[in-house]
Order: sequence, then C-alpha cells, then structure tokens
Amino acid sequence: MDTTRSLLSVILSELEMRVKKRQQRPPQQNRVEELKAKVEALVLQRDQLKAEIEANESVQKLRNLDPERSTLDGGDGSDRSVNSQLLQLMTRHAQLKDLLNAHHLIGGYDIIKTCQGKGVCVSIATLYRGVYLERYSLEIDVAPVLRIARHDVPPFVPLDRLAVRGGPLHTDFQGFLGTLSRHLNAYAGRKQQLKLVKEQHQSVEVMESNAPCSILVLMMTLPKKNVAVLCKLEYSEPTRCLPERVTVHSEDEELPETTQWKQNCTLLMETPVHEALASLIRNGVIK
Amino acid sequence: MEAQSQALLEAQSQALQVEIASLRGLHQHRERSMAMQFEGRMQDALLSLSGKLGTEEAVSKLRAEVEQMEEDVTRQTGMNGIRLTSCTVKTLHKSDRGLEQQHTLAGSCLDLPFQVEFKLFEAQNKTITEMDIVLDTDDMLISPFVSRAEEDCDLPQFFRTLRYFSERLEDRRRTFQHFQEKYPSVVSLPEGSGSEVMNLIHPQLPGCVLAVHWSVAVSKEGDVTAQIHLLPRVPQTVHNMDSSRTLEGAAESFHSLLTTLGTEAALESLLLALSTGH
Repeated sequence: MDTTRSLLSVILSELEMRVKKRQQRPPQQNRVEELKAKVEALVLQRDQLKAEIEANESVQKLRNLDPERSTLDGGDGSDRSVNSQLLQLMTRHAQLKDLLNAHHLIGGYDIIKTCQGKGVCVSIATLYRGVYLERYSLEIDVAPVLRIARHDVPPFVPLDRLAVRGGPLHTDFQGFLGTLSRHLNAYAGRKQQLKLVKEQHQSVEVMESNAPCSILVLMMTLPKKNVAVLCKLEYSEPTRCLPERVTVHSEDEELPETTQWKQNCTLLMETPVHEALASLIRNGVIK
Repeated sequence: MEAQSQALLEAQSQALQVEIASLRGLHQHRERSMAMQFEGRMQDALLSLSGKLGTEEAVSKLRAEVEQMEEDVTRQTGMNGIRLTSCTVKTLHKSDRGLEQQHTLAGSCLDLPFQVEFKLFEAQNKTITEMDIVLDTDDMLISPFVSRAEEDCDLPQFFRTLRYFSERLEDRRRTFQHFQEKYPSVVSLPEGSGSEVMNLIHPQLPGCVLAVHWSVAVSKEGDVTAQIHLLPRVPQTVHNMDSSRTLEGAAESFHSLLTTLGTEAALESLLLALSTGH
C-alpha cells in the first residue's frame, strides 16, 4: 500500500513538473512535443496492429490444424512455452466466441447465470423476415422455488399460464421457452406487418388496431367508383402472424359476395398483410 | 535545431501513418478468411504476446474466461437442443454503415445433421439474408418448410421446428425399435428403424402384411405433427375370402384405436392380437 502511494506521489510530481515546463516553453517547442507524442501514439498503434495480425495468423494456423480441438495441451514438451499456451487459449477463446454467437443467433436465446448462481437471466430475441427486432428478458429464480422474478414480456402474452405450477416452466424449461418464443415472435411479426402497412401503403387507412396486434381494420378504396371497403383481419391464434378470419364490408353490399373479393380474402389469410395489399394495389383492385 | 527535429518527427509520423494504413489493409484482407475480435482478456493476451504485459497473469486470466465460456456453450447447447460441430465467420464488408459477415454452421439436432449458411448484416439491428439450408434427411415432408424458412430467413424458427421434428423422428425410431425387440417374430423394419414403415406379419400368414405407416409432417409455418396409418396389404385370394370385409375397415378401426389409446398402446394391442393368434 505504502509503495503504491509513494509511487503515485512520484508520478504526480513528475506530471506537475512536465506541465510547468510545457508552460515555460516557447510555442515551437510545444509543436515538437506534440509531434513526439503523436509519433509515440502511432508507434503504439502500429505495434498493436502488427501483434493482432501475427496473433490472427498463429491462431488461424492452430485452428486449421485441428478445428475440433477442445483440449488445451501443447503437444510435445518443447512446445509448451507460456506463449504457445497463450496462443492456444486464444484459439479456443475465438472458437468459443463464434460458437456462443452462433447459438444466440440460431436459438434466439441468451442465457446468463445471475450473480451467486441463484437464478438465470434469459433474453429472447424476436425477428421477422430475417430482421432482429425487440428482445424480451426474464429473470428466473431457481432457488428456493422456481419462479419468474422479473420480466418485460407484454401483458397479453399468457406468461402466467405458462409459468403456473406444474406448467411448462416447471416440467419442461426448453418447451416453456419454445412456446414463449413462439408467442413473442408471432406478436413481433404482426406488429412489424402493421408498421410496414403504414409505411408502404398510405392509400390504405388503418382504422383500428389493438395492443397485441390481433385485430386490424383497414379502409381501402376501389379505384373507379371511389367506393370504400372496410376489411377486418382477426388474428385469433396468438402464435401465428397470419389471420384466422378476414371479413369485408362495403357500401356496395354485393361486393363481399363476389368471387374476386372471396379470392382477395383468401389472399389476405395466406399472405402477410403488407404484401397482400401490395399485390391488390398492383393489380388495380384497390387504390 | 528545433526546425530540424520538427521536420524529422513529421517525416517519421507520416511514414508511420503509411505503414499503419498498409497493415490495416492486410488485416482486413485476413479478416475475410476469418474474423477475430481482440477485446477484454484477448486484448491483454495480445499485449502479453508482444511483451507489454506479464504473460503468466494473462494466461491464468484468459484460461478462467475460456472455462467460463465452455460452460456457457454447454448450457446454450442444452437449451437449444442443437449441437454445433463447426462454425466459421468471414467478414465480407466492413464500413461505417455496418458490418457484413458470412456465417457457415454445421452440426446436428439429435441424429439429424444440418448445414446452414447465411449473411448477417449488423448496423442498428441485425439482419439475416441469403439463408441456405442443407438437411441430411430422406424425409421429404420437411422440405416445403425448409424452403419457406430460407425465404423468410427465420433462423430461430427453423431451428425450433428442426428440434420438434427430430424429436418426433426420435420418438418413432424408439417406438419401432421397442416393438421389434419385443415382438421379433411379427415385426420387421424393412428399411431400418429410422424409416417410416413398420411391417407386421403374422408368422403363419407370410403373404399378409399390415404396414404401419408413420410420417412426421411439418406445415409451412413450422407446426410438426405425426400421422400414423395402417395399410393392410394382402393377396387377392385372401381379399376374396374376407367376407365380413374386416380388412377394409382395418385402417379406420386402427385410427379410432389411436385416438382413444394413444400411439404406443394402440400398436401394443394390435401386436398383442397378432402374436397371440399363433
């Protein structure tokens, strides 16, 4: 402790002296000092880059030798220098980092033990059409009882039902996460579709939508007659992002019964809504 | 004197900048074959390799971190139900706008090997494009789903379904094997325990086969369901003898047995009937 303190005071007084000197020096000398510092920084940067390239090279060689290697032994005795141990550790580190990253991407989960190992923190990714959207997190206590301590899952997702005693959370954790992830991803998908409708189709008016994005009422206009068509999409299955029911109302009472509009309803049931609308507009069915 | 050293320093600084630029170019070129990040403990390790930090300490700290990561990978493998055997990342493009990398993953889900390739673009959010899936299975029933998943670039959804799918295949394999071991004189698996068909043949009626056809279907949206049917295959002469048309109704009766008893119990009772007959 004392040595640290005395060392610190030496450094501080040295710094003080430098500052004083600098203040006394003519401007040109300042310029030289600046340049010196710049050169020093550049040398450091160059050395770092060189080291990165070298390490990258050595690690790549090691990986190519044995991509599946999991032991960290250094082969024959002569090769067991500290540096080679370090290189091997770096190789494994790089592999593990890639593996973890890949697992996060493919599973959509990120699980970390919370401090003292009392629980886990799970973060669930949502994505729609390859775009990663919001993440939701749950903090789950393992001891003394398995329970969800905190979370930011939207209230309309039936988390309580999934986490009820004897439910999936207790019997099959993997299944629990699977189901929860399906609910969240379907919600994210519906929400994203609604966003895309608003962005891409200004001629279509969103009359009504709700928080879980399970009901969507759209007003469209027929191009020639300027007749309004009200279209209601009901997404009653919370793990899907396509509607279960599509109904059409219009001033022209016969319109919903026409073959064309029955086909349009089928299209809206089978295709994401923003794409279905794009196709209707393209074909001149609506404005 | 001052002017001289100033010029010298300026020249030095310029030379260094040129050297750094060329090293950067080299580094970027290398990253195209394999991307690696030097942060945290890896940065320390790097500094220690270039002699700027104590090596022993760097080794022990990095080792601790590597051990922690091994644990994380094991936990994540269990959670995902997916074992990754290889994983390569190449940097395709790096700029202020974002980072684009090519990922190639190979592994297996239970007994089902797969290879997946995709591009990941990281800017404000991550986006997957150009996903390509290779599944090593004869089961054609999953291929419409695979095409859809490739089109949608929905990576987690694909793996979630792959897990359900391979679990159902594993159920089937285990059930077929169980019955073959229990009733070896009646059960035959002509294409092995991994196939869709289990043949039930009464030892005294070698020409009559009750084929249990068990397929695992995957909808385009990724719902996995097992479909089990009983298909009697008998020679025409036997058909003619079947005056009460038992055979015609067999498939339907088996179906109602399935819905009331469940798969294993339905098969068990069918096999029991066949094996007590001789």
